[in-house]
Amino acid sequence: MIAVLGLVVGVVVGLLVRPEVPAVVEPYLPIAVVAALDAVFGGLRAMLDGIFVDKVFVVSFLSNVVVAALIVFLGDKLGVGAQLSTGVVVVLGIRIFSNAAAIRRHVFRA
Amino acid sequence: MSSEETPRNEAPEPQPTRAQPLPQAQPPAPPVAQEPDPSESEVRTGRQRLGAAVWPPRVTRAQLIVAVLLFVLGLGLAIQVRSNSDESALRGARQEDLVRILDELDNRTQRLEDEKQRLEDQRTELENSSDQAEEARKQTQQKEQQLGILAGTVAAEGPGITLTIQDPSGTVESDMLLDTIQELRAAGAEAIQVNGIRVVADTFFSGAAGDIEVDGKRINAPYTFKVIGKPQDLEPALNIPGGVVQTLEKEQATATVERSEKIIVDALRPAERPDYARSSPQ
Repeated sequence: MIAVLGLVVGVVVGLLVRPEVPAVVEPYLPIAVVAALDAVFGGLRAMLDGIFVDKVFVVSFLSNVVVAALIVFLGDKLGVGAQLSTGVVVVLGIRIFSNAAAIRRHVFRA
Repeated sequence: MSSEETPRNEAPEPQPTRAQPLPQAQPPAPPVAQEPDPSESEVRTGRQRLGAAVWPPRVTRAQLIVAVLLFVLGLGLAIQVRSNSDESALRGARQEDLVRILDELDNRTQRLEDEKQRLEDQRTELENSSDQAEEARKQTQQKEQQLGILAGTVAAEGPGITLTIQDPSGTVESDMLLDTIQELRAAGAEAIQVNGIRVVADTFFSGAAGDIEVDGKRINAPYTFKVIGKPQDLEPALNIPGGVVQTLEKEQATATVERSEKIIVDALRPAERPDYARSSPQ
């Protein structure tokens, strides 16, 4: 409940305050958000599986974000930023889908 | 919630990191759900756990940490969505696209600058030409006024003299009046009228003494000349020895000259359009 509240508050604050994102971070924000989403879905699935551990969630969340941003950064440096970020998004998307499938099986038993 | 159910789960796919801590992390959680037998807890697992996590809002460390992370996620999500919808395509565009867009904008700016320059030149030109037209119109108007004074089509005023010739004995001939006009013109008279008749280039005097006609119209004594010109020139010109005044006095006529700062010559003649002569650019 508190976690859901956190998400809602985050969205509301983001919409209301409109913070300025530093230009350096800006290109990595979308990919970081997708990576974080992946971590959240993984965490939700783990919770439904009954194997949720907060420490693991924190670590996976942060590492997902950092690694995704790193990959994009590296890609930009190598001149293949567009392709690499597409790749990252595809991989994360697949993971999100598989996690969502597991969650669905838990929630709807189908 | 008991550890037995985890093996039953189909395929924990690519989640080794999350699955690993299971053995160590699981023990603290179960104690609450110890009573129900495995089969029953199996049925309740999924939704039950979700419900348990969501509904009675408990402030636990896990919930708080997850809340913080989700807050960060929501923040990032909102910022990203916002900035994406804010500046449309540009924010998400890649460098090559941006360079291309910048190029196009530069070209467009260049074209617009050129056009602006052209239009400004045109405007300056038009302004100049309209100024020139205005100037030419003013000059034409002035010229028309000047020529109108000479041609007698407009009234004139200015300093000058009034010459009155009394002719009690009826001896003043038309040629004497003509001499007077010539003398006045030689002295720089600019506009002359005699008894209400404007004297212009083709004015003629005819008739005998006492029956004088100017331009075919009869005039009677006293003859009043209204003359615009420099009074200091006009008066001496009439009064010089052997001049107009003396000649007239010899004929028993009296001539009086009166200077004035404001003479109004308001007798007019119609402007006549010449039948054959046309103005020539030379």
